[in-house]
Amino acid sequence: MNAMTTRAERKQKFVLQGIPFIIFGIAAIPIWKALKKTDAADMQVVSPNVLSMLLNDLYILLSVSCLAILLGIVCAFYLEEWLPKNNWARRLIESHVAILTSIPSTLYGILAISIFFSYAGTLKVIDGAPPAQNTESIPFQRNTTLFCGEVLTFIFMVTPVTIKTTQEALRSVATPVREAVFALGASQWQVLRQHVVPIAFIRILAGGCRAMSRAFATAALLIGIYIWYDTTDAGGMSGRFILFLAVSLFLSVFSSSLTEVYDSDLTQRS
Amino acid sequence: MLTEEKQPILSIRDLNIWYGDKQILRDLSFEVQQRQVTAFIGPTNCGKSTLVRCINRLNDFTPNFRSIGEILFKGSHLHEASDATALRKQIGMVFRKPTLFRCSIYENVAYGAQIAGVNQSEHLDIIVEKNLQKTGLWDEVEDILDETPEQLSTGQQQLLCIARALAVDPEVLIFDEPCGELDPIETVKIETLVRDLTNEYTLIFATNKRRQAARVSDVAGFLYGGELIEFGATEKIFTNPQDNRTEQYVTGRLG
Repeated sequence: MNAMTTRAERKQKFVLQGIPFIIFGIAAIPIWKALKKTDAADMQVVSPNVLSMLLNDLYILLSVSCLAILLGIVCAFYLEEWLPKNNWARRLIESHVAILTSIPSTLYGILAISIFFSYAGTLKVIDGAPPAQNTESIPFQRNTTLFCGEVLTFIFMVTPVTIKTTQEALRSVATPVREAVFALGASQWQVLRQHVVPIAFIRILAGGCRAMSRAFATAALLIGIYIWYDTTDAGGMSGRFILFLAVSLFLSVFSSSLTEVYDSDLTQRS
Repeated sequence: MLTEEKQPILSIRDLNIWYGDKQILRDLSFEVQQRQVTAFIGPTNCGKSTLVRCINRLNDFTPNFRSIGEILFKGSHLHEASDATALRKQIGMVFRKPTLFRCSIYENVAYGAQIAGVNQSEHLDIIVEKNLQKTGLWDEVEDILDETPEQLSTGQQQLLCIARALAVDPEVLIFDEPCGELDPIETVKIETLVRDLTNEYTLIFATNKRRQAARVSDVAGFLYGGELIEFGATEKIFTNPQDNRTEQYVTGRLG
């Protein structure tokens, strides 16, 4: 009986530890394919109007919630519940998570432009025409390369926030509760599934919402910045840079105020 | 005299425990006999909780925890037993503060049996009723089994915690200051229950109340500064202590 339960536990543990790798794998294949793709017909930039940016936002939200938030939650569970408390890997990951969460979201935009987009090949607006004239002629159209670049950026941006909030949610479950369950002979898995997760669930959800608000506030910025960066001829480099800074500043203030709303909401609830 | 011939259920030899660099317990050696109440007394921070938590390996979760020494449970080494969950099914624990799960009274008591593999509702009904009757709580909660335990008084909650621990059917039950948050009337109830439970279980009782230890225990140990100063029959500890510090503690001049 005991041997069987431990074997089942080991299996569950193994599966749980495998989930991050599987998610990485699933995410990596299409992204890699898209990055390798240099077909000119595929290189179409979405015209910078409000509707397409909103749709872009929603699309990003969907894919990021599937990938980054899930990844973040799984990572946080692994860090908090399975890794030993004074493990060097845990210290390394936690310090990096702390650094990544404190970076303003606009810097991720620069990261996206400088790494993902430039490696993905040059993007051109069709026929070189200014985007304003193309607004009616181009319907909402996805560009796989641009999209994958964005999703990669958001994985970098949203995952640390989710890890942090989920860890805090798990820590909020008091030690006496865990000890009381352990003292009855429950395994780690049973403690987690039957007691910790039901108590921490609402906080994990709120953390996910907070991370999503961060992503939502920056998704439009990313594509906007890219189009300015790519299509502005006038003003030269400095003009573009000032424009870029102004937009970044505005959007980072917007997104930080949004996250503050969620923060205060969380503290009020607790 | 009879008890000394029996095989001890738990024997501890030269137990040393550290949290990081801080040594909590030094060279503890004693034996716990079956169906007796063994009490550990001593001032706060003398290592009582650490000691009793060692016995069902709850300290495994404490970071920087380190121990040297032998703990033998029914003749086998505790730290060599790979499965701590199986061990905790045999050595139950009741904590200072009653911590109940956020479900009904019935589910609270049935939980331990459920994770031990009892699934039929008839069996669970029997287990719940039997253990609530053992703790004397059955008459009070019979009609509200499906409601949450928050409406119960602290004393009733602690009794429910004991019933929950008993439902796993352990051999040893550890009490870590079970009356720390209770009023005198509820304390009397718990103490009476502890005496009754010796018919079926071996009990280990950590407390910082001298009189309480004198009332409930058969064997007592005095811990001071991480050392087991004196260990022996309760009567002897309280009426004729060998060590000067024990005498000072039981008479109230120390700690």
